[in-house]
Amino acid sequence: MFFVPVALFLGVIGYWVIGQAQKSVSELPVLGELPPFEFVASDGSSFGRADMIGHLNVVDFMFTRCQGPCPIMSANMADLYRKMEGNDLVQFISISVDPEFDSPSVLRKYGNELGVTDSRWLFLRGEQEAVKQLSEEGFMLAAGGLPAGHSTRFVLVDEKARIRGYYSGTDRASLDILITHLRQLAGADR
Amino acid sequence: MTVFKRFAILSTVGTYLVIFIGGLVRVSGAGLGCPDWPRCFGRWIPPTNINQLPEGIDPSRFNFTLAWIEYMNRLGGALLGVLILITALIAIKNHRRHKKILIPSIAAAFLVALLGIQGGVVIWTELAPIVVTAHMLLALLLASVLIYTVQQAHYLEHPQAGSEMVFPKSIDRWVLLVWILSLIQVLLGTQMRQALELLAERFPLLSDTAWLAKVGMVNHLHMTLGLIIVIGTWHVGRRILKETTNLTPAIKQTVLSMQVAISVQIVIGFVFMLVGMPELARVFHLWVASIFIGLLLIVYTASRRKVSIV
Repeated sequence: MFFVPVALFLGVIGYWVIGQAQKSVSELPVLGELPPFEFVASDGSSFGRADMIGHLNVVDFMFTRCQGPCPIMSANMADLYRKMEGNDLVQFISISVDPEFDSPSVLRKYGNELGVTDSRWLFLRGEQEAVKQLSEEGFMLAAGGLPAGHSTRFVLVDEKARIRGYYSGTDRASLDILITHLRQLAGADR
Repeated sequence: MTVFKRFAILSTVGTYLVIFIGGLVRVSGAGLGCPDWPRCFGRWIPPTNINQLPEGIDPSRFNFTLAWIEYMNRLGGALLGVLILITALIAIKNHRRHKKILIPSIAAAFLVALLGIQGGVVIWTELAPIVVTAHMLLALLLASVLIYTVQQAHYLEHPQAGSEMVFPKSIDRWVLLVWILSLIQVLLGTQMRQALELLAERFPLLSDTAWLAKVGMVNHLHMTLGLIIVIGTWHVGRRILKETTNLTPAIKQTVLSMQVAISVQIVIGFVFMLVGMPELARVFHLWVASIFIGLLLIVYTASRRKVSIV
């Protein structure tokens, strides 16, 4: 009967479709795609979207004169930085919203004080207007009244420069989830 | 083969295909893959990319795999609708005098349109269980109506087809009984589905078999009725195969297929009970039930056929 091959065929298609559906639900959603951008890192080299490709990236917006949440955010980021030691896949990116004060040397000193010893954690500096635009349009994070008005979120960006999650930079519980998600994305590549 | 019969057969096959796709939507959890209706995320073709989402839609709500699965159901339904409309138009053009062809064909066209709109209600009520059940039942009704038209078209083309068959006395009533029991069984199945969904929500960490054990009365009824239907089908089928004079190959095949179909159903039922409920098995469980009901209808219609003396 020709029905049997039809049923088999439908079974195979059905199996595949169900597999795709289950995979799509267990994976982290893609929340956005980063536009191209180009800033300068504290060692003078340029750094942009292209340098995020192939890495898992944790991004935040800060400034060194900040009295508010930044010390907590940077301490938390430093914690993550230490946890991810020996791993080239994950890179940390802090973007200054106060380029007037945060010169490359100021940023270098800030990084040293946090214990940054390699290029796994980069501090970027760009024109304030460009940084505001990247924050609002690229990362979909409000950036009114800079420098104080920067977002306190950490953003997880995957190896294709796609935004996969937002976390609270001052909340350790949220950052534990970030670590879980980093693991999930790292595992998905293997 | 007449043009009408060709289109009627295509419509029937198409209906069963869309029923299968509908089952896939269900088990994939894609029922709300497109949260709006009739468009999908505000578009006629679902987005493939996060940048295509309209403003104001939370991107974390968007799962493009589930959206496309749901879209296939809508697209299949829409194409089926066109096909059935053409079938009805052919019936109006070529078979206006043949009421047994004309009326079901027009009914099918209205039914498929209703299914489309009712699909919208499924979305608006956010998959309210009774609305989802109604969606499936309407689809079964559509399949039945179309099978009837195919059979009538066949008899029109071959007036003497099966005319010499003499079925066992009163077998038509038994066939009708099995058919009615099967419809009840399908309804019980939907109640099982509903109960399992609620249990899965309340006890997310339990296994399929554990949930099944908690379903209670509905499960017992469903199992018992299932066994009754199997026995009934085998018995009725055996009587037809052995006692009908001049049994046509078509009806013989139909009866054998019925027996195979109901056996598959019971096997799947046991798999559910003993092993778990793999998604694909759930799709086939529903799909085979819909085919089984269609086959019963064919046998019933054949057993009731009174051939007019030409």
